Amino acid sequence: MAVDITLLFRASVKTVKTRNKALGVAVGGGVDGSRDELFRRSPRPKGDFSSRAREVISHIGKLRDFLLEHRKDYINAYSHTMSEYGRMTDTERDQIDQDAQIFMRTCSEAIQQLRTEAHKEIHSQQVKEHRTAVLDFIEDYLKRVCKLYSEQRAIRVKRVVDKKRLSKLEPEPNTKTRESTSSEKVSQSPSKDSEENPATEERPEKILAETQPELGTWGDGKGEDELSPEEIQMFEQENQRLIGEMNSLFDEVRQIEGRVVEISRLQEIFTEKVLQQEAEIDSIHQLVVGATENIKEGNEDIREVPHL
Amino acid sequence: MAAAAAATAAAAASIRERQTVALKRMLNFNVPHIKNSTGEPVWKVLIYDRFGQDIISPLLSVKELRDMGITLHLLLHSDRDPIPDVPAVYFVMPTEENIDRMCQDLRNQLYESYYLNFISAISRSKLEDIANAALAASAVTQVAKVFDQYLNFITLEDDMFVLCNQNKELVSYRAINRPDITDTEMETVMDTIVDSLFCFFVTLGAVPIIRCSRGTAAEMVAVKLDKKLRENLRDARNSLFTGDTLGAGQFSFQRPLLVLVDRNIDLATPLHHTWTYQALVHDVLDFHLNRVNLEESSGVENSPAGARPKRKNKKSYDLTPVDKFWQKHKGSPFPEVAESVQQELESYRAQEDEVKRLKSIMGLEGEDEGAISMLSDNTAKLTSAVSSLPELLEKKRLIDLHTNVATAVLEHIKARKLDVYFEYEEKIMSKTTLDKSLLDIISDPDAGTPEDKMRLFLIYYISTQQAPSEADLEQYKKALTDAGCNLNPLQYIKQWKAFTKMASAPASYGSTTTKPMGLLSRVMNTGSQFVMEGVKNLVLKQQNLPVTRILDNLMEMKSNPETDDYRYFDPKMLRGNDSSVPRNKNPFQEAIVFVVGGGNYIEYQNLVDYIKGKQGKHILYGCSGLFNATQFIKQLSQLGQK
Repeated sequence: MAVDITLLFRASVKTVKTRNKALGVAVGGGVDGSRDELFRRSPRPKGDFSSRAREVISHIGKLRDFLLEHRKDYINAYSHTMSEYGRMTDTERDQIDQDAQIFMRTCSEAIQQLRTEAHKEIHSQQVKEHRTAVLDFIEDYLKRVCKLYSEQRAIRVKRVVDKKRLSKLEPEPNTKTRESTSSEKVSQSPSKDSEENPATEERPEKILAETQPELGTWGDGKGEDELSPEEIQMFEQENQRLIGEMNSLFDEVRQIEGRVVEISRLQEIFTEKVLQQEAEIDSIHQLVVGATENIKEGNEDIREVPHL
Repeated sequence: MAAAAAATAAAAASIRERQTVALKRMLNFNVPHIKNSTGEPVWKVLIYDRFGQDIISPLLSVKELRDMGITLHLLLHSDRDPIPDVPAVYFVMPTEENIDRMCQDLRNQLYESYYLNFISAISRSKLEDIANAALAASAVTQVAKVFDQYLNFITLEDDMFVLCNQNKELVSYRAINRPDITDTEMETVMDTIVDSLFCFFVTLGAVPIIRCSRGTAAEMVAVKLDKKLRENLRDARNSLFTGDTLGAGQFSFQRPLLVLVDRNIDLATPLHHTWTYQALVHDVLDFHLNRVNLEESSGVENSPAGARPKRKNKKSYDLTPVDKFWQKHKGSPFPEVAESVQQELESYRAQEDEVKRLKSIMGLEGEDEGAISMLSDNTAKLTSAVSSLPELLEKKRLIDLHTNVATAVLEHIKARKLDVYFEYEEKIMSKTTLDKSLLDIISDPDAGTPEDKMRLFLIYYISTQQAPSEADLEQYKKALTDAGCNLNPLQYIKQWKAFTKMASAPASYGSTTTKPMGLLSRVMNTGSQFVMEGVKNLVLKQQNLPVTRILDNLMEMKSNPETDDYRYFDPKMLRGNDSSVPRNKNPFQEAIVFVVGGGNYIEYQNLVDYIKGKQGKHILYGCSGLFNATQFIKQLSQLGQK
């Protein structure tokens, strides 16, 4: 259990001050001292590097706050129970995406710039190490914030893919309006069935639920007069068949979702690896160039030898 | 009752965790550390002295330091350049030289702000020295915080700690037991030990009940420690043991027992040859602060004439808590370890093959529409394979590490026939009949180094009830000298035996048996690298070393002539004098065994094995310094020379 003796220390400082005054020892403390302190501070290199580093960090912080602020709206798109405030149009989302990307690019460029400049002026090994580490920290911070962004983007992309997929799920050229309406009715039941499924399922069903009320009324109005027993039976059979089809299609949808998420994850991993390799390839390139130079010089030296 | 048990279990949450948490808090500018994934980076520089380095290195790896925001970690007494605009965290002992150097740093304005943390409490006068320097350098406002950390001990395992590594010599067995020690020197040594123990209990957050034997160095330590704890408890304002400094889930029902023993009660164990993995590594290889250094000989190769001879590679490995294999097997007998490494290797290879197979499947099925379901399945597999790759690589690294270490140990075992020594010593210590004569083993040129033989003989000498006759002794001495041993340790042991009234010599060691060859042949047949040909497959039977026995008596409140007259101290009691009658009649749930004069992994392992059988009981093992048999022999030798 650590004990804070800072107050004790300050008390010691006071004791020493009074003691020194009593002894008449000239000391840098007191009123003069503080002025000296001010003087001494300003010529001291305030660290151009660190102030710029802190600037970059505050930028990244702004990006993070921006993303977090709009995150809820960004993700929570399809809840039709939300008020107008909550809705975000796609264009707005695109705007956010674009802005975020530009921001991230500028930040990483700034970091790169800092990196090259940091090593130019200073000759001390320790300071170099320190600065490299600081820049690593900043880059890591940027990566973490970018992760926020890429997560929300992934969800959005997945949704778009699902939507496209679903729009292909409508039954084949069945011009009979009745059948199209019955298919909507049918689609409602499997959506009801799978309501307990995980949230990822909710969106396709909600889409259907959305479209359903619009067409359902239309269907109801038309079908009433003309349903004969045979047709009812036929419709029922077709219902059953369509239920089966829809179930299998929903399974496929689920699988596709899973796959897309995995693929995006894989892509992230691969991108990271490729970027890492880029750095290494650069250093290898440097080494090779250096080696070539050395060999050239070596050859020249060897050529000179017979002349001696 | 269940809640109490859970509380004690949580509180016994290892000393390692407590010290790590304390260090992390210190590194976080003395504010409790919370992980925040989108937190802004803060950076700082860590300055430590050698003591601080020894404390930090078993607990935090360089990567963990980085995660806490430390860009550079430097020794106090090295050349350091000014780094502007960065806070510096100091973690040093409050010695004269350290204080001087810190004052110099302040004067040279090396860093932006200073967070001073002293490993053990700093005295008022030294604090004023720093204040003086800060004033002179106009740096008073830069000194942001000053803390006494009370962390003056090194934790090596969840339940094991040592006092120091740097100045081991100061508190070693030799230092305490040499005949020419002066009173002041003894006082210094005792003060060092007590200071560290005090820090230990502050970090643990408990006031123990102390028991110690009479007339030993351990008694001196106990008296001083009791006094120090008592003073601190009386001082209500500054007490370190008040309710809010203790963590939640404290030892609410029971206080721990501290058993202070002196090394002199058992000199045989430090010399003993051992058979468990961790103890073997410590005995045979260069192992301290959880790091083992190996020299790898780079095989027999023909180097062209005139070329420089190949250098041996030096490799060092850290054996850390995240190393699952180590945690599982550090107390296992060596043949078991060899087998387990083999098993791990096989399972790793199976997983590797699995990943390779995926590659070929992916290549084939890429085009086929009909196998879409298979493909999606493989996508999942591929994802899991990619994400499990780091895990696999880590596993491979650990397997390589342990293969190297175990191979090195095995080489020593084979070269020095350590299994023979182990078996023989066990027999001596348990007083079963010996099949081979001691003289034979000593005279055998193949078996072991001179040091091994010396160890064996010393154990024999210590363990026998009656000393061997003069003639026999001469014979042994001659054989030993022929084998190349130095006889100084024997001198000392003779004196020691004369001093201590070891009426009941280390008895009840139990017996060991040799298991039938089944296990061994299986290891050999699987084409294992660990060809233990000719190495006996010995199995340890549970036996209690003297230290364990003493602990058992005291913890379970058993009556035993050996421990009955141990002194009893309770710093929380108002009356200062001790009584021999313990007030508490219940068995203890929690105990700390501390050996003054040095300890070793054999005793540690023995205690761990002992407590494994008991539910809900917890033991911590500590010693003033860790040394293996080689170092101990050296100390005995120096003592014998005088």
